[in-house]
Amino acid sequence: MSIPCVTFTDERLANGLRVIVAEDHLAPVVAVNIWYAVGSKHEVAGKTGFAHLFEHVMFQGSAHVGKGEHIALVQAAGGTMNGTTWLDRTNYFETMPSHQLELALWLEADRMGTLLDALSQENLDNQRAVVKNEKRWSYDNRPYGTWNEKLQAAVYPDEHPYHHPTIGSMADLDAAALEDARRFFRTYYAPNNAVLAVVGDCDEAQVRAWADRYFGGIPANPDIPPLGDLSLPPIIGAEVREVVQDRVPLPRVYVAYRAPAFGEPRLDVLELAGQILAGGKGSRLHRRLVRDERIAQDVALYTMGFVGGASMTAGWATVRPGVEVERVEATLHEELDRIGREPVSDDELARAKALIETEELGALQRVDERADRLAMFATLFDDPDLVNRMLGRYLAVSAADIRDVCAAVLRPDNRAVLTYLPAEAAPEEAG
Amino acid sequence: MSEVERGSVVAERPVPGVPRPYHFPPFTRARLSNGLTCLIVDLPGRPLVSASLAIRRGAVDEAPERGGATVLMARALSEGTEHYDAVALVEASERLGASLHAEAGWDATTAGVDVPAERLGPALELLAELVRRPTFPEAEVERLRDERLNDILQARADPRRRAEEAFAETIYAAGSPYRRPAGGLPETVETLDREALRAAYARGIDPASLTLIVGGDLAGIDVVGLAEPLLGDWAPAPTAAPADPPSVASAVDERFVRIVHRPGAVQTEVRIGHLGLSRRIPDYHAVIVMSTILGGLFNSRLNSKLREEKGYTYGASASFDMRRGAGPFAARAAVNTDATVPAILDTIAELERLLESPVTEAELKAARDFLVGVFPLRFETPGPVVGSLIGLVVHELPDDELQRYRPEIEGVAAADVLAAARAHLRPDRSAVVLVGDADAIAGPLEAAGLGPVVVDRETTAPGDAGPAEAAANEG
Repeated sequence: MSIPCVTFTDERLANGLRVIVAEDHLAPVVAVNIWYAVGSKHEVAGKTGFAHLFEHVMFQGSAHVGKGEHIALVQAAGGTMNGTTWLDRTNYFETMPSHQLELALWLEADRMGTLLDALSQENLDNQRAVVKNEKRWSYDNRPYGTWNEKLQAAVYPDEHPYHHPTIGSMADLDAAALEDARRFFRTYYAPNNAVLAVVGDCDEAQVRAWADRYFGGIPANPDIPPLGDLSLPPIIGAEVREVVQDRVPLPRVYVAYRAPAFGEPRLDVLELAGQILAGGKGSRLHRRLVRDERIAQDVALYTMGFVGGASMTAGWATVRPGVEVERVEATLHEELDRIGREPVSDDELARAKALIETEELGALQRVDERADRLAMFATLFDDPDLVNRMLGRYLAVSAADIRDVCAAVLRPDNRAVLTYLPAEAAPEEAG
Repeated sequence: MSEVERGSVVAERPVPGVPRPYHFPPFTRARLSNGLTCLIVDLPGRPLVSASLAIRRGAVDEAPERGGATVLMARALSEGTEHYDAVALVEASERLGASLHAEAGWDATTAGVDVPAERLGPALELLAELVRRPTFPEAEVERLRDERLNDILQARADPRRRAEEAFAETIYAAGSPYRRPAGGLPETVETLDREALRAAYARGIDPASLTLIVGGDLAGIDVVGLAEPLLGDWAPAPTAAPADPPSVASAVDERFVRIVHRPGAVQTEVRIGHLGLSRRIPDYHAVIVMSTILGGLFNSRLNSKLREEKGYTYGASASFDMRRGAGPFAARAAVNTDATVPAILDTIAELERLLESPVTEAELKAARDFLVGVFPLRFETPGPVVGSLIGLVVHELPDDELQRYRPEIEGVAAADVLAAARAHLRPDRSAVVLVGDADAIAGPLEAAGLGPVVVDRETTAPGDAGPAEAAANEG
């Protein structure tokens, strides 16, 4: 089976904005996706969570768009949209009926050029309150809710910008000031720090004409400060362990490892390994812990790719009632060790590759996913064509590769183990 | 002529181009020799085919003492068949790059597979095997049952899930099937065994009334030709029972507040509402427009007020869950604890406002334009196309339901929205169900004049299954 190839063109405006266009007239939809090369890794101590808060502020209006009007206009045009912030980048995207493409481009340009015209203390305060509630809803008011923050802190050293979570801390969110927002915008929200991808039912020449018309007048920022060297030793150096008492009914064991940086072929190998280890009901961890030995309620293992020094591979097993936590942890470690010693079988490898192939096919059939990947590969690797080559890289992974990379990465001195235990709780007093 | 200000951007907002015509894809109907219906949708350029067998029986059709049997039965279909044990089945499907799955909800049971088109034949073989010849091995049934019991523990500990379950417990009268979760509560799940699942299967599955829906690039593929030898000789089942219309009743006569206590909670999960509507109502499109204006769009009345104006929440919404029977209507938000009372008061005020006067033309246009405009975007890939057709089958809707959707939405006027609001919303007789810190909020709530306040202090000891009436499950 062949994955359809994404055919695209790739040019920059004079102000540095990289514009990538891929036509596809199958459905009357078009996706717009803009990646800014700024993420939580650009945050300084005392100002964690700022990149994400700023993303919220980007929806609060600009010179010609009112508060909340960006979203109102997109939805009234029959479109969908959102923005996300992560460690390496912030992206903003719209999927529109194709005859509404120009509106989406105009909206993105208006805020890239003139956000500061509408930036106000009131809007900043409002979105600060919203983001604090997002933090509560996503993390603070959830069982096991602190897991991601703790794993990041364990895998990355204190001084590394991946040490803290993208959502930030309540104290730092409270400290975010209007002047910080102005400075952040002027520094990072420049056309030469952005990639615009447009995919779908569009005309390439028309898209470029619109891009020039709407974005062409926005000045570049020649003084974007480089982040510096984020390299890390490939191994943490010692096992990191923590036990947390939480309002949870079942114990859960989390593990995390420092992994090769996103873009390195060794990370592709870990993706295959993750599929074999925990990618579904035929996977090793599911079969052994959930099905055969019945010591876990559920298992997971996956890799998050980051370009700044090291990625993170993380997973967990929820412990079934009456089972010793130590046994679940030991079994997890046994399987993660075994895959680094014995090559996986031909059948396991073939099945994993078949599933990854189908997954790629599924993802690339959507214009919004294609646009996001083009922008991602351009931003992180200066190579948008990776969208066409990633599957080939996964399919080229061998059993020996998996054994070697797992042996190098999934080792005790490179892991964090985080265990959640049900807190002692007395029954509440009646009434 | 462009109007460029400050040498940077264009002030003039662009006008839309001409919309490209879009039609919901046509489908053909066929019948296999045993009466099984096939709906076939050719979607050129979509090589990942989605195939589903839909069975118009779900958790709502269970006897109360068998609560959870349908959900468990569906989950157990993949755990062993006459020719494959569970591992062999999943490995066979993985080799095809196919994801084979079966699940049940309130209204229906479905089994499906997503697979590249060139492997549709072998994938349908596995699907047919799973649906026709499950063996419900005792050991697997026991494991799945335990997984459900453990999941119930997790649901009680998760404020969002606890809020949904507490809300249903509150608004439905005893005896209504929707009062408990579709997956069942411990007192019934504990009794489920192989025989119970076999009985659920036999009651639910009549081949003559099943529908196979296949969508994707079917060039050169004869779906009926593939399906007939796999499913056409499956004899109709006289033991299958018809799906009766569900009978539900409300437990809410006057507004009151129920707090499920979580000490120290930094947020309150808020659910405000009552019994809602079933899918087959004459004013369906007016209700959709009404609930979109109330709590569907980002700039809906609820989200604008609670999030963008007040900052009480990351998101506020409202919806009718339209099932074969009347599912819940709820307005939902998670708000910081100290904003609990104002958020509830604001929500109720917005509900009342919708009853008092017609929505503005601007609101009406925004909602209609969104629902009509986004329609083609919903169906970019085969999965949602097949999903919508499952909906037609389950709710016995006419074949042209989706073709009629956009004109019907366009035709909804402000007067229709007002009529729908007055007919179907009752903020003065809503349950206000909260999961949060009762020590912080009960006092202010009592003072707010919303109605009687009841505090539910469930134990939160490890291993406890929840409210006093449920049997504790010590693993």
